Amino acid sequence: MGWIVTEPTLSSQALTIAGRDIQRERRRGEVLWVILPFGAIAMLLIPFGIGIDTPMLRRIGPGLFWVVVLLFGVLVTVRRTAADTDTEQALMLRLGVDPVAELLGRSAASVAMLIGFQLVVGAVTIALYDVDIARWPVLIALVPLVAIGLGLLGTIAGGISGSSGGANLVPFLVAPLAIPLLLAATQSMDGSTPTGGILGWLLLIVVVDIVLAVIGVLTARPLQEIR
Amino acid sequence: MTAPATHHDVPASLRLTWLDKTAIVTLVVALGLAFLTPPEATQGNVARLFYLHLPTILVAYAAFATTLIGVVAYLATKDLKWDQLAGAAAEVGVVFTGFTIIVGMIWAKPTWGVYWTWSARLTLTAVMFFAYLGYLALRRAVDDPVVRAKRSSLLGILLIGLIPIVHFSVIWWRDIHQGGTILRPDEMQIDGILATALLAGFVAWSFTGAALIRRSWKLARLEGELDQRLRAGDGRVAGDAVDTPALDGSKDASS
Repeated sequence: MGWIVTEPTLSSQALTIAGRDIQRERRRGEVLWVILPFGAIAMLLIPFGIGIDTPMLRRIGPGLFWVVVLLFGVLVTVRRTAADTDTEQALMLRLGVDPVAELLGRSAASVAMLIGFQLVVGAVTIALYDVDIARWPVLIALVPLVAIGLGLLGTIAGGISGSSGGANLVPFLVAPLAIPLLLAATQSMDGSTPTGGILGWLLLIVVVDIVLAVIGVLTARPLQEIR
Repeated sequence: MTAPATHHDVPASLRLTWLDKTAIVTLVVALGLAFLTPPEATQGNVARLFYLHLPTILVAYAAFATTLIGVVAYLATKDLKWDQLAGAAAEVGVVFTGFTIIVGMIWAKPTWGVYWTWSARLTLTAVMFFAYLGYLALRRAVDDPVVRAKRSSLLGILLIGLIPIVHFSVIWWRDIHQGGTILRPDEMQIDGILATALLAGFVAWSFTGAALIRRSWKLARLEGELDQRLRAGDGRVAGDAVDTPALDGSKDASS
């Protein structure tokens, strides 16, 4: 009786890669023990630079939170645990791993970590800046949507810049292009934005996420060729 | 045997081509016209900066479009000279965008009261500047010319989408920055001698941009050839003019 070998689907490949990346992170704890505390310290230090005035901090806290998410969140996508060694890359190629599945898997792992990052830094912001989160239902939609956009952007930029020495470039490449995400996130949480306006900003993030996903899928194969 | 070069000879790389000369002449004419035109009715003399500001950003757009042309030509032919054109044009585009921003800030201080305001046009122009700076940084970060060409090609294609967003931002969003003057859906918002001065500025800066791209492209090709020779192990990169230093007392280590 012979073995019946079925080719793994795109989604199963992507899930396996995402699981592997999360497993690596669990072992090394780069996001948990380095990037996350670094983001929290940034939220702690900023008031010393601009003045410890609680009403002002309450007003600017949400904006500062999204800036920290953008700048430090990029570091989550370029963590060392997301980079493959040359041997691992060669093995993936020989195994016939679909580059699109690789992009989706890597992005999914980054998205999961970015959601965790936002939740912890968000809690720190609420505690330190006394931020009123009357619009918490908006946050439930915002956190994953921003994480998806940032995760995809970081993964694509990581692929373009290359793993050897190019990782330092990723934050520089990502930051200007992540402005729509930052703008939409801050405007959605702004108390003066009407409900209709919030939906518009959320829609902008959805569109950005879809565009990035399409770009990621289209560039996955060429990027694999030049790795 | 060729005669040795003296300090009176101008190296070929420094000789002015017809394009360089045209750029210089047209620039002198354009700057002269910019000063000779009457002051603008509402803004006065400060509006003369407009004759620099508008042409330079349009030339920056053209330079970034040339980057896209270089990228597409490289992907179609795999000839590195097109990638070098893309890089050269991006360099000039970044310089012109930076120049546009600085001139705009000088104009903004007496007009708006601040050097910078967070309008959509200004912010997006700064984003475009930094995004293409990232493109140039990526090119510098990769040593292998073929890998560099492939990686930067992908980024070059992605970045071109910024140009229509930057340009039409004043139409799409309410903005303190004035709307389009020439490239707008309806008719032009300038006429007479002012339009002539603006046109002269556009012609002059176009020639200047083209001349700079040409020189930068030539430099990139020479750097590429040098890199190729160094990779091939040819140590005599300076040709016959300079001998390789000899460590063992002989005249030429390479001979």
